[in-house]
Amino acid sequence: MAMTAPFFQYGMFGDNVSLVVAFCIGIGFGFFLERAGFGSARKLVSQFYLNDLAVFKVMFTAIVTAMLGVTYLAWIGWLDLSLVYLVPTYLGPQIVGGLILGVGFVVGGYCPGTSVAATATGRVDGLVYALGIFAGMFTFAELFPWLKGFYLSGAGEAQTIPQVFGLPYGVVVFAVVLMAVGGFYGASLLEKRFGAGSAE
Amino acid sequence: MQTPEAVHIDHAGPQPYMNPYLAGIGLGLVLLSAFVLVGRGLGASGAFNSVLAWAVNAAAPEHARHNEFIAGYLGDGSESPLKVWLVFEVLGAFAGAMFSGLLAGRAKIMTEKGPRVSVGTRLGMAFLGGMLMAFGAALARGCTSGQALTGGALLNLGSWAFMMMVFAGAYAVAYLVRWQWR
Amino acid sequence: MTRWLSTLTLNQKLAVAAILLGAVALAARPYAGGQVTLDARELALAVSREADHVEAPELAAWIVESRADYRLIDLRSAAEYDGYHIPGAVNIPLAGLMDAGLRRQEKLVLYSDGGIHSVQAWLLLEAQGFAGVYMLKGGLEEWKDQVLFPVMADNPTSDQRATDERRRVLSTFFGGQPRSASAMAGGAAGAVGAPAGLPAAPKVVPPPSAAGGAKPPVKKKKEGC
Repeated sequence: MAMTAPFFQYGMFGDNVSLVVAFCIGIGFGFFLERAGFGSARKLVSQFYLNDLAVFKVMFTAIVTAMLGVTYLAWIGWLDLSLVYLVPTYLGPQIVGGLILGVGFVVGGYCPGTSVAATATGRVDGLVYALGIFAGMFTFAELFPWLKGFYLSGAGEAQTIPQVFGLPYGVVVFAVVLMAVGGFYGASLLEKRFGAGSAE
Repeated sequence: MQTPEAVHIDHAGPQPYMNPYLAGIGLGLVLLSAFVLVGRGLGASGAFNSVLAWAVNAAAPEHARHNEFIAGYLGDGSESPLKVWLVFEVLGAFAGAMFSGLLAGRAKIMTEKGPRVSVGTRLGMAFLGGMLMAFGAALARGCTSGQALTGGALLNLGSWAFMMMVFAGAYAVAYLVRWQWR
Repeated sequence: MTRWLSTLTLNQKLAVAAILLGAVALAARPYAGGQVTLDARELALAVSREADHVEAPELAAWIVESRADYRLIDLRSAAEYDGYHIPGAVNIPLAGLMDAGLRRQEKLVLYSDGGIHSVQAWLLLEAQGFAGVYMLKGGLEEWKDQVLFPVMADNPTSDQRATDERRRVLSTFFGGQPRSASAMAGGAAGAVGAPAGLPAAPKVVPPPSAAGGAKPPVKKKKEGC
């Protein structure tokens, strides 16, 4: 099978069309976020009170779906996986950043993507959260000279889990699927124990 | 370990949300289409950076140029910082979410909060949360959509580490802010 | 089996599907695509047509015209590039060509010292689906011979005079210097024609409009995710 994807990297369309593509993909993104109820802070934070683990379910189902898709499409040689962008590693900042982000998630009730979905459905707190993001980013930029050292620490090229642990790609894929399905089962048990009889 | 008393959160009435697994599959297919069409994943926080850079540049161009972080989003000035993939994607997300919300009758001007907390307090917390989130996303080079979803699907090690830290940070602090939601 | 399947809820069916797909994926080799397929016949035809060659004077004309629809790539080492490079060229050593983020829809013109590396690079890129790859015929040697230090006839005919004048202008534009045929025939210095040094820097810097397309943007906008 001839390699033809990613289409943009194979020259099927240029920069301007890619922006239109971005908009269309974004529509799908926002649509499913809202479908899942992620335009609501209460639904989102329910994850962290173990009432309703939709966040975990949606996120990991999405990951597994895309992961399997990518694996199969690359396997048949249609998708050139090496052309798909991987965020480089910055170990310290990613770990610390993740923690701070998690705190921000549960304090504010949203993450950047869901705050957009919330604002789009009328949530004032979503809008205020987005404004907070701007304020926070501005502050970060102003403090950047002092943060730059840490910001650039632990730099390394992007590495996949199979690469780092020397495992075949397919083995890691299967392991992630098992972990996710096991997690979903565990999630349903947690919801029975702690749930408020909510939507799912 | 003593189980903390269960925190129950009221939802705004019975919400016929989509089966989370089906929504997840939908989201995953959208993510996959991004990989196939443009060789990259989804994202959100980067769009905020671009808009911020544009705004600062419009208001105080020299300051923007001198600020290394912001200048990065301006490039060589030949094109607007808004003309990037992510900004358009986020605009699309806004439209898509609005469409879904209107379709489901869930679009309503309101503030999500628990019954025992004031709107003002909740909005203050939302603002604070956004600020914290921004710091986290700036450091980590992404947020839950860009790093966790995208990097997760691509088995990026840094992204998986990031994802676990997000859950850890959220769970650690959740109990402390439960009063917002009760 | 089908009866058992039908007793499962939707969620359970999804779980079974996921596990099955995951199990099959155990054998996946998603990076095997580093291999490329070559249609030898097609490639041989392309080579014989010489459609992918660019002559040195032609390239010189493009640069003078400030054409911005192509990217000129110097495949040599950084040191050699710093010594002299054709104006408007970016330095991407051959080894780093795959990682340079070149796009398949771009028009690329490759050059190296004598042309061998540019041919090899051409082959690598063609095999990966790049359709707009061209080679500077004869490489930098031809560039020197025909553009920088063109040989002027001693007793030009009127036709030759016109051509020589054009080449003289071109040569001066790039900071070179025309040579006379008689000096060459005299076996000057035994060197293969070129005077002592190459122009340290091109005498004329291409106008900014060329820089926009022919060179990659100096500072690419960051995008993040």
